[in-house]
Amino acid sequence: MASSGNSALDSAAVAELRAIVGDDAIVSRPTELKVYECDGWTIEKSAPELLLRPRSAAEISAVLKVLHRREIPFVPRGAGTGLSGGCLPVGAPVMICTSRMNRILAIDYASRRVEVESGVVNLHVTNAVRERGFFYAPDPSSQMACTIGGNIAENSGGPHTLKYGVTTNHVLGLEIVLPDGEIAELGGPAEERLGYDLAGAIVGAEGTAGIVTRAILKLTREPEERRTLLAIFAGVGAATRTVSAIISAGVIPGAIEMMDRLIIEAVEDAFHAGLPRDAGAVLIIELDGIAAALDAQAAEVAELARAAGAREVRLARDESERAALWKARKRAFGAVGRLAPNYATQDGVVPRTRLPEILREIAAIAERYSLKIGNVFHAGDGNIHPIVLYDERDADETRRAIEAGREILRACVAMGGSLTGEHGIGVEKMAEMPLIFSPDDLIVMSELRRVFDPEQRANPNKVIPAPGSCVEVAAPRRQVVL
Amino acid sequence: MPPALHDPANLARAFAPIVGEANLRPPSGAELRCAKLMVAPSSADEIAEVVRGCESDRITLAPIGAGRTLAEIRSAPADIGISLARMNRIVAYEPDDMTIVAEAGATLAELDAAMAAHGQWLPIDPPRPELTAMGAMVAGARFGPSRLSEGTARDLLIGVRFAGHGGRLVHGGGRVVKNVAGYDLMKVMTGSFGTLGIITETTFRVRPRAARRLVATMRFSDAASSFRAARTLHDAVPLTHLEVASPPVAAALGLAEEFTLIAGCGGSPVEADYLRARIPEILGANCAIAGGAEADAFHHRLRDFDFAASSAELLAATAPAELPALLAEVGGAWLAFAGSGVARIFLNLRAAGGLDRMVGALRTRARDARGHVRVSRIIPELRGGIEIFDRPAAPAMNLMRRMKTAFDPSGVFNPGCFVGGL
Ligand SMILES: Cc1cc2nc3c(=O)[nH]c(=O)nc-3n(C[C@H](O)[C@H](O)[C@H](O)COP(=O)(O)OP(=O)(O)OC[C@H]3O[C@@H](n4cnc5c(N)ncnc54)[C@H](O)[C@@H]3O)c2cc1C
Repeated sequence: MASSGNSALDSAAVAELRAIVGDDAIVSRPTELKVYECDGWTIEKSAPELLLRPRSAAEISAVLKVLHRREIPFVPRGAGTGLSGGCLPVGAPVMICTSRMNRILAIDYASRRVEVESGVVNLHVTNAVRERGFFYAPDPSSQMACTIGGNIAENSGGPHTLKYGVTTNHVLGLEIVLPDGEIAELGGPAEERLGYDLAGAIVGAEGTAGIVTRAILKLTREPEERRTLLAIFAGVGAATRTVSAIISAGVIPGAIEMMDRLIIEAVEDAFHAGLPRDAGAVLIIELDGIAAALDAQAAEVAELARAAGAREVRLARDESERAALWKARKRAFGAVGRLAPNYATQDGVVPRTRLPEILREIAAIAERYSLKIGNVFHAGDGNIHPIVLYDERDADETRRAIEAGREILRACVAMGGSLTGEHGIGVEKMAEMPLIFSPDDLIVMSELRRVFDPEQRANPNKVIPAPGSCVEVAAPRRQVVL
Repeated sequence: MPPALHDPANLARAFAPIVGEANLRPPSGAELRCAKLMVAPSSADEIAEVVRGCESDRITLAPIGAGRTLAEIRSAPADIGISLARMNRIVAYEPDDMTIVAEAGATLAELDAAMAAHGQWLPIDPPRPELTAMGAMVAGARFGPSRLSEGTARDLLIGVRFAGHGGRLVHGGGRVVKNVAGYDLMKVMTGSFGTLGIITETTFRVRPRAARRLVATMRFSDAASSFRAARTLHDAVPLTHLEVASPPVAAALGLAEEFTLIAGCGGSPVEADYLRARIPEILGANCAIAGGAEADAFHHRLRDFDFAASSAELLAATAPAELPALLAEVGGAWLAFAGSGVARIFLNLRAAGGLDRMVGALRTRARDARGHVRVSRIIPELRGGIEIFDRPAAPAMNLMRRMKTAFDPSGVFNPGCFVGGL
């Protein structure tokens, strides 16, 4: 099956869809569609044949009814910041983008609930409630751009999910347009579920259940105060041992993030954030909670870091110093863009006590494949993000980058970990799914997916490898060999 | 085996070869309302074989922990009850990774005992941890007061294994605290009440235990002021749990017979000292604050609370701000988890008609607030035609039917007692 091929997207179909969404919400010119040929997983590219930007669940429902009748697969898209090729069209000619559905519908402070359309940008939720002392806890580093719908599809995390949980812990209810066009409201503002937790099953389903149009989210109270520390180490070993030491001491910081030398240098070159260029690794450790206890806690954590080998621990003295640290962290991926023409952000998980080991392994893999790999990640959760640098014009280096990424994942699995902590399987990791799931597991998961999407037309050819198929990443064009 | 032959003796003949004669027994106590014969396998493989036997002969099976949940929701016993009592091992506990893996028959009390030496616990506190088996806790979505700060099983379960249709042994998730590989089968199994498969193993992330625990209580002359104070306190300091008890419940908890705000908090000694000083500043000087052993004992009373005098217990769920209005309809005895929008309501109606009307009225009210009401316990004389679960709206119900068919095509897993008769 080619990426678009034999679809029934003829001119009659396009006319029908145009009548629903209007001229200004349809893109069909190949040059304009090129923008949508990939997300943040840039190794593979494939533009849709048609892009729709509907304004409401009703429009999406009408669109999906047409696609259902005509048996045309589709792919949902939020902001396109995904890192596993989630919104790469593979056998889905129509892309449906939620960017116009960006209203915050209701805020209920007494219940700590907010109801939003799925195209709302993550950070806009927090911006809307911050003044009243609340925030929306899941904070992916891409939060200035990514949408709540994308977050729901990927079950996204972020630095502060160590303490506050990932997206699924904050989604109470959602409205979804199923692939046949039916609109279903699942869950609601109540915490207790009535019947099966369908909303829970859709979070993390990577757009394969339909198009989420609305969500009811939990709001979290701002902590009284925060203390943000920068712990500086000669190498990644001592830094990762510090993570375990802090957690073992019974302290749950708001966040523990790590950056290694390559990333520190990239960030310094790009933003002059004041990170020590000669360090082998830094940890950003943020403590939050009752102000009266924070200074003692910060002193305890600093002591643990020193005992594990930190050469220096700095405390951000005010909000601007704190903001500078977080800016450095959240813009690290962008900074890496300056180091090489291309980079692939990997996403694996190990039990956090195995962090020193996996980082040694990554260094060895980098050497074996003659590649540069940097690390900037959610250390407190054991969620690694090795960033593999390559140049897509060099076919051999591209191949080595893909192979090295896979080898890192195999190492994570061998340490009792997982293929992805927050970026999803997408197209990127389908081939690795059998490393952690048996054929029976995968059969039951496909059955679950078909509860929502019996014909598998919502974001097809994702997450679960087709039984007996051989999926081959043939950058930059994906081939699904059946 | 045609249904007429599903008497205990025939069932015993069918399953003895799989689990051994010694591991079959007649049901007793609460189990009598759950199953005709109890079968106690020793492994997931045995369960898988039992499931295959059930599917080929259309024998219904229900997983049973202490029998507390199914005794309430089943109107007639299933053919066989699967006891997980022999599958009660703690498979792995990694204190430094803060994860624990346990077979479905292990109890919460056993897990917490194993973790105590490391100052950790699984922060789910439903009534009677010594009776709460992991499988039943997950499948029955059991919770306690600490849901406010720690979440419920759906938030803490990071991996699950179950025996599904065809005797497939399936797993979702893993042993790491953050993981989005594959569909979230943990959410599917949580609160599925044994209707999709038999949970055999559960993996949770665990938390450090607070060094100090405090419980603040304060009396009010009416419900509305107690809920207002609860919100003010919740917005001002981090709490671990937050309840409002109506006068009869407060009295049964050993407090004065008035509307009572109950708030739990804690942390390090420094945090506890701060909270002890700060809470009276917020609530007023006449709040009472207990610490130490007294606070622990009170937390256990609150966790295990049961209003024995009632004929039925309901579980109401709405957005937190809607809960006071719903409870105003009830009067009488209730315990509200004020920050979570969940309340246990204790009714003492002795006539089936009156109970039915009351449940109906509360359901209408709850639905208006986009919530719902479940019957969580009821005396057998009133069980009759009462609908245990509220009814989901049609599109959601259609999906649930499809979910049931996908996971249980033969209709053998604890059928006929879940939402919409699933
Ligand atoms: C610089 C950078 C930093 C990042 N940091 C983090 C991080 O810290 N943590 C983290 O978890 N992720 C991170 N990501 C990854 C990415 O931002 C998240 O996966 C995000 O949730 C994607 O949102 P999006 O709106 O861009 O979705 P898209 O990329 O557009 O889509 C992602 C998936 O969601 C589906 N989808 C989108 N909208 C809907 C909808 N309404 N209904 C159904 N399906 C839908 C798509 O089909 C696709 O499968 C980062 C990415 C970048 C580029």
